[in-house]
Amino acid sequence: MKNPFSLVSLVMALVLVITAGAGCGGGGFDSSKNIAVVAREDGSGTKSAFMEIIGLKGKVDPVGAIQQNGTAGVLTEVKGNPVAIAYESLGYVTSDAKTLKVDGVAATVANIKNGTYKIARPLSVIYQESTLENDICQAFLTFLRSSNAQKIISEEGYVSLLDDAPAYTANGALSGAISVSGSTSLQDLMDDLAVEFQKLQKNVQVVVTGGGSGTGYNNAESGVTEFGMISEEFDLGKAPTCTVYTVCNDGIAVIVNKSNPLDNITMAQLRNIYDVDAGASAIIKWETLVN
Amino acid sequence: MRGIFLFCAVFSILALGCICVFLLANGLPFIGKVGLGNFFGTKWDIHNGDYGILSMIVASLYVTALSMIFGVSLGLLTAVSLYKFCPRRAVAPIRQMVNLLAGIPSVIYGLFGLIIIVPFLRDYISPNGVGYGILATSLVLSVMVLPTIVGVSLDALNAVPKNYYEGALALGATKEQGVFKVMLPAAKSGIMAAVVLSIGRAIGETMAVIMVIGGSPAMPTSLFQSVRTLTANIAMGATELSGDPMTALVATGVVLFFFALLLNASFSLLKGGEKRENKRASKANS
Repeated sequence: MKNPFSLVSLVMALVLVITAGAGCGGGGFDSSKNIAVVAREDGSGTKSAFMEIIGLKGKVDPVGAIQQNGTAGVLTEVKGNPVAIAYESLGYVTSDAKTLKVDGVAATVANIKNGTYKIARPLSVIYQESTLENDICQAFLTFLRSSNAQKIISEEGYVSLLDDAPAYTANGALSGAISVSGSTSLQDLMDDLAVEFQKLQKNVQVVVTGGGSGTGYNNAESGVTEFGMISEEFDLGKAPTCTVYTVCNDGIAVIVNKSNPLDNITMAQLRNIYDVDAGASAIIKWETLVN
Repeated sequence: MRGIFLFCAVFSILALGCICVFLLANGLPFIGKVGLGNFFGTKWDIHNGDYGILSMIVASLYVTALSMIFGVSLGLLTAVSLYKFCPRRAVAPIRQMVNLLAGIPSVIYGLFGLIIIVPFLRDYISPNGVGYGILATSLVLSVMVLPTIVGVSLDALNAVPKNYYEGALALGATKEQGVFKVMLPAAKSGIMAAVVLSIGRAIGETMAVIMVIGGSPAMPTSLFQSVRTLTANIAMGATELSGDPMTALVATGVVLFFFALLLNASFSLLKGGEKRENKRASKANS
């Protein structure tokens, strides 16, 4: 019995290793395949903003959409999946994915500023008025309005809203820590802003965590963190005691895998991909978009 | 001193009580409020007050059933092999390895599934370009439940009196016939207990499932379709939702809790059956 046993186990191990290796390789784009629609979880600000702008406000995802719990998950999926389509904060998109033109307009900061690229939304922090009695919070808000912050915002690919902002003057007496949580679309930028703020205010620490816009609303409303980050128009109903400050505007890019030949997509096509009630006009396969 | 001991003993009962009260007090009124028809409906749309979790119950059951088919067939044959068919010297190391599987955190199973299994299914097996779904999840879960199935059913086989097997051989049965026709039936209730335990593990697993299931609250129609299990539903929304949708997650927890109770009860019944059988067997021997 000994030899057959070891032979079988050897073969099994080989099959497993080959499978694992093949899994890493990945296939190419195939237009006969279904579009793998990638969406975000309920409570995501990017999702509610995107669905509202393309005209599907309050609708659920199409049947079988892959739900990712954060901006990073969306990018990873599109990077690895040749037949995926997704929406993603423009400031977050890297060269790992291909950004589509929408109605022929490229998703750039200039096009968002002049209003030709339609899929854009504000990124904001919300806070309770009483929070500003804390000098650090007040200073952080002043910093967000300063030219120091606007410079980082522009550098990172977001749309600055203040043209002639004053420079930030540090207050040497400040020391302590504050925390900011919420939208993962704003998290990356907020990390960079926090690093800059901590350079200017040596004794201050700003802790930035994600969780999604829903978390941002909850934490700011209940005072768990001083600031909540949201990536949609402020909805007073979700945090009745809070005030909003819009840090910058951000486009939402429509992204596909790099091996995808598609360059441009229309609003109508996007609607027919993401509309759960599209019925007969629903776009299921890549063939419909790519010839 | 006795007071402290008593407190420790009572503490777990208190914890259980608190969790029960929390679940039922929050969940049941909510189910009553939205109505059974809504709560056990197929539409989950929290913006419009639809909290139907039927599709998630179905997805949970599919995932569990399929992972049991994979896991039990592999695990049971592993146990049989370790029991009689593999070289003596290899038994201890293989058992150790299988037990090691139980020590791997579930998030690592999830990562493996996300990075290896999902892309593999997507590129080579799936007809529609989706790797996420019931098949990917079942594959991950079937490996996760292996330690339970192998360990418990091997113990059950070892608990069967040796003279059953020797008797079978003496009557002219081959080694295979002895094991499959005599020993396995005799260890039946122990093996069933192993299956029930692993069903519990599969239906309650969250982290690994979330990473490979896809997450869309749709009724499963294919093995390669993004769906959502009960556990995934709770975990995906728990940190972001508030108000009614949050309570809906607690109510989802009530349903999950009910499944767990059901499994525990059947496990106790099976354990009782095994004890009775062993007693009968040892009486017959003496």
